[in-house]
Amino acid sequence: MEKLSEVKEGKYKILEISKPGKLKKLSNLGVFVGDIIEVIKSAPGPIIIKKENITVGIGYGIAMDVIVERIE
Amino acid sequence: MEEKIIAIAGNPNTGKTTIFNALTGARQKVGNWPGVTVEKKEGYYIYKGIKFNVVDLPGTYTLTGETEDQKIAIDFLTQNKVDVLIIMADAINLERSLYLLLLLSEFHKNLIIDLNMIDLLEKEGIEYDIQHLEKLLKVKFVKTIGNKNVGIEELKEEIYKKCNEPLRETFKFNYGEEVEKIISEIESEINKLNLSYPTRFLAIKILEKDEYFVNFLKEKIDYEKISEKILHLEKTLNKPLDMLLIEKRYGVIHGIVRESIIEKKKEVKIEITEKIDKILTHNFIGPLIFLFIMFLIFNGVFLLGEPFKNFIDLLLEKLKTLISNSTFSPYLISLLNEGIISGVGSVVSFVPNIFLFFFFFSILEDTGYMARAAIVSDRIMHKLGLHGKSAIPLILGFGCNVPAIIGTRILESKKDKILTVLSIPFISCSARLPVYILFTGIFFSKNQGLIIFSLYLLGIIVSLFTIKLFSSFVFKQESIPLIIELPPFRSPYWKSVLLESWTRTRFFLQKAGTLIFLGSLILWLLSYLPNPENYGSEYNYIGKIGKIISPLFKYAGFNFWQAGVALIFGIYAKELVVSTFGTLFGVENLSESLKIYFNSVSSYSFMIMSLLYMPCLATLIVLRKEIGGKWAIISLFWTFFTGWLISTLFYQVFTFLIGG
Repeated sequence: MEKLSEVKEGKYKILEISKPGKLKKLSNLGVFVGDIIEVIKSAPGPIIIKKENITVGIGYGIAMDVIVERIE
Repeated sequence: MEEKIIAIAGNPNTGKTTIFNALTGARQKVGNWPGVTVEKKEGYYIYKGIKFNVVDLPGTYTLTGETEDQKIAIDFLTQNKVDVLIIMADAINLERSLYLLLLLSEFHKNLIIDLNMIDLLEKEGIEYDIQHLEKLLKVKFVKTIGNKNVGIEELKEEIYKKCNEPLRETFKFNYGEEVEKIISEIESEINKLNLSYPTRFLAIKILEKDEYFVNFLKEKIDYEKISEKILHLEKTLNKPLDMLLIEKRYGVIHGIVRESIIEKKKEVKIEITEKIDKILTHNFIGPLIFLFIMFLIFNGVFLLGEPFKNFIDLLLEKLKTLISNSTFSPYLISLLNEGIISGVGSVVSFVPNIFLFFFFFSILEDTGYMARAAIVSDRIMHKLGLHGKSAIPLILGFGCNVPAIIGTRILESKKDKILTVLSIPFISCSARLPVYILFTGIFFSKNQGLIIFSLYLLGIIVSLFTIKLFSSFVFKQESIPLIIELPPFRSPYWKSVLLESWTRTRFFLQKAGTLIFLGSLILWLLSYLPNPENYGSEYNYIGKIGKIISPLFKYAGFNFWQAGVALIFGIYAKELVVSTFGTLFGVENLSESLKIYFNSVSSYSFMIMSLLYMPCLATLIVLRKEIGGKWAIISLFWTFFTGWLISTLFYQVFTFLIGG
C-alpha cells in the first residue's frame, strides 16, 4: 500500500481515496476505487494516470490521498 | 419565422464546439454569461423554414451547484424553454457521456445524443449496437464526425423532427428502494415550494449534500429532519450517499454499454499517445518543450503580425496626412488625428496580433497540448497559489498585455482568473521597450542590455509577488489542486480554428473599440483645451494635470510637468511616453534636454515607473471587461502604488548610496 503521490511508473489498483471531496472529483471523471490504473508520470509535479481511454493529470495535493497497490 | 431554442451540453473535449460551429457557421457571437466570466457562445441556423437558436453550454462532467460553469448549465436549462437538448458524447468515452445523460434527463425530456468522433471508434475496433442503446436509454442517437462535417445534416433533421413530435417517455433512473424512498420524501417537501428547478433533481442534490443547493433549500424545508434521515441511511448502507449515487449511475451505464458493444477486436493499445505524453510532461524536457512552444507562439503572434500591424499603421498614417491636408477646420483635424485615430488606431493595429493569438491558442486547445502545458507549469504556479494553466497568459504578456488578459479565458476558476489578470499588467510588454531604449541609450549606453533585462526581471518579480500577495490575503481559500483530463492528441480542424479566432477577435473589437473611443476623446479634450494651438502643452488642462501630479514624484526624482504629461499619455499606449517627450522637448535635441532633467538614477527610476505605473487604456478596458469594474479600480490603484513606491525607494536608496 502506497500513496499515489509517492509511487513510480507502473500498474496499480486504487484501494482507497481518503478525502470524500477528492474522491468525488475523480469519480466524476470516471475513476473509481477498485480501478486498475497505469501511472504514466510520477511525482514531482502532477501525477498522470491512465484508465482505459481516460488520461487524467492529478495535482500532488489530490494524489496524496489516493492509496494504491502495485499489481505488476 | 418560427424560432426554436437548442442547447448543446456535454463533457469537455467531446467536440462540442466543432459541432456548434458546424451547425451555425459564421452566424454566431461570443459573450459572457450574465454576471460571470465564463464565455457564452450563441448562434443560429435556418432549417426547413425554422430558425434554430443554438446555445453552447459550458463543458462539464457532472451537474452540481458547486462550480460556476455547471451552475450556468443548470440555470440555463431551468430558466429557458429549451426545445431540444443535444448531449455531445465522445464515442471513445461513451460511459462518461452517458453519465451526464442520466443527470440531464432529470432536467429535460427532449434529448438527442450526438455520438461524435465515430471514426475513432473504427480505429479502436469497437462498434456499438446503436438501436440497442436507443432502446435501453430511450433516447435518439445521431452519429457525427464533427471535424469532417459528417452527419451534420442528419443532426439537423433529427433536431427538426424532435421539435415537432410529442414528448416521449424518457429513461428513468432507479436508485434502489431505500434511496428512492427518501427521494420521494424530500420531493414532497419541496413540491410545496413551487420552485423552478425540477423537484427530483433538487431532492437528489440534497442527498448528495451539494453545498449550493443545500444552502438554497436549508431555510425553506425541514433540513434537520432530512439530514437525520440521510445520516441514518448512510449508516445502514455504510457509504456516503453522494458516492453511492455516483457508483450506482456508473454501474448501470457500465452494464448498458457492455451490453451494446457488438464487436471488439483485440484491444489496440494507443501507446504512441502515452509515449508522447511521457516526453511532453517530463520533469526536465517538458518545461523546455513548453518554453519552446511559447517562444514559437510568441514569435508567431508578433513576427507574423508585424507586417499586418505595419500595414495598418501605414494606412492610419496615410489617413492622418489626408485629414491634415483636407479643408476641415483645425479643430476637427486635431480631433480626428490626435484624438480618434491615435486612440482607436492603437487598438485596431493590435487586431492582427489578437487574431493570431486566438489562432495559435485554438490550435493548442484542439490538439490537446493545453492540458499538458498545465501539467508542466503546475509545479511553479502551485507554489504561488495558482493552477499551471495561468502560466500561459502570463508569458504572453511579454508581447502585449491585451491578448494576455483575454487569454485568461482558458482558466476555469474565477479566483485563478482574477489573480492572473491582476498580475499581467506588470509583465513588461513590447510597447514599453521604446521607453527603455530611449533612456538606456542616453544614460546607460555601456550596459544597455543588462539594464533592460533588469527591468524585465523586475516586472516578473512584481507580477509573481502580486499573485502571492493577493492569493494569501484576498483569496484566503486553499488553492484547488489540479485535476485535469488529458484528451487524446488530435489534429486541429482548421475551419473551426479560423472561425473561432475570428469570432473572438470580432467580439474584442466591438467591446474594446467603443470604450477606447470614449477614452481617446476625453484625453484629446484635455490636451486640446483651452489653448488649441498649444496641443498637449503646460497651458492646457493636460499640462495642468501634469503639474498637479508631478509633486507626487518629488522623491522619485522626476517632479517636472513634462514627465507627468508623458506618463498621462503613456496611459493611451506605453510607447507614447517616448513620443510625448519628443513633442515637448523637440525630437532634434531630445537627448540633450533629457540630460538636463534626468540623471542616471532618476532615469532608471522613471523607467521603473513607466514599467509598473498603470495598465494602458486598451489593457485597462479588457481588464474591466474580463474581471469587472471593481477589480479594474483595484488594479489601477495597485499598479500605481507599486510603481510609485518602487521608483521612489529606488531613487532614494541609490541617491544615498552614490552620495548624490
